[in-house]
Amino acid sequence: MTTIDGSSIKKLIVACDAGMGSSVMLAGQLKKQLKKSGVVVEHSPVAHIPQDADVVVTQAGLADRAQGVVPDVPVVPFQLFLGDPKVAKIVKAIQDGTTVEV
Amino acid sequence: MADAALTSLLAEDSIRLDAVASDRFDAVRQCGAALVAAGAVDESYVDAMIQRENTVSTFVGEGVAIPHGTLAGKESVKRDALVVLRFPDGVDWDGNAVSVCVGIAAAGGGHIALLSQLAEILLDPDKAEQLRNATSAEQVYTLLTPDEDDD
Repeated sequence: MTTIDGSSIKKLIVACDAGMGSSVMLAGQLKKQLKKSGVVVEHSPVAHIPQDADVVVTQAGLADRAQGVVPDVPVVPFQLFLGDPKVAKIVKAIQDGTTVEV
Repeated sequence: MADAALTSLLAEDSIRLDAVASDRFDAVRQCGAALVAAGAVDESYVDAMIQRENTVSTFVGEGVAIPHGTLAGKESVKRDALVVLRFPDGVDWDGNAVSVCVGIAAAGGGHIALLSQLAEILLDPDKAEQLRNATSAEQVYTLLTPDEDDD
C-alpha cells in the first residue's frame, strides 16, 4: 500500500518500457482528466523517469524497475490499461485534493 | 488531425483487415513486417517487438493489442508510423482474445494524438466494436480521427 496525497501532486508520470506505446495512451487520457487541476502529466520510458515526479503509474511488471529509478517517489502499479481502479483513485484524489491508499 | 497527417502516419497500405495469425508472436511479427514495408523501421525492430511482448504484454483491452519495440529498439526506428492489422478469427493473447493489432514505431511524438484517439475508442464499447468489425480502411480512418468538438 502506498499513501498518495492528491493535493501535493504537481507532476504525474506514466512510465512504460519504451515510452512509445502504452504509456502514451494512458498519459493522453490522464491529461484530459486532470486538465483542470493543472497537474503536469507526462509519459516516459522507465529508465528515464524524471526525478522531480510526484507520483509514477506503470504496468505491474515494470513497477520494480521504476522504483529503482526513483526510490523516493511513490510508484503505483496498474493491471488494466484503461479504467484501472487504482489509477481512477489517484485521479480522484488529485481532483478532490484528498489522500488515498492505493 | 488533418487527413494528410493521419495518412502520413498510417498509410492505407498499412491497414490490413483480413490477416490470419497462428499465435500472438506471429501477429506481432506481421505487425513488424508491415512497419518494415512502410519504411518506418529496420528489420531488427521486429525482434525488439517480440522481446517487448515477451516481457510485458501489449494487450490493452477490448480485443486490441498495440505491439511496439523496446527503448533499445528505438534506434531501429526511421520515422513515426502506425499499422493496423485486423485478425477476424481472433488471436489468443495470453488468455485474452485479440482481433485488432495497432503496431507502433515511434522515435518522436508524432503518433501521440492518434494513440489518444485510440484510447477514446477503447473506452467506448460501441466504437471498439466498430473497430473490431471494420471492413474498410475508410472506417478505420473515421474512427481514428478525433472528434471536432473534442475538448
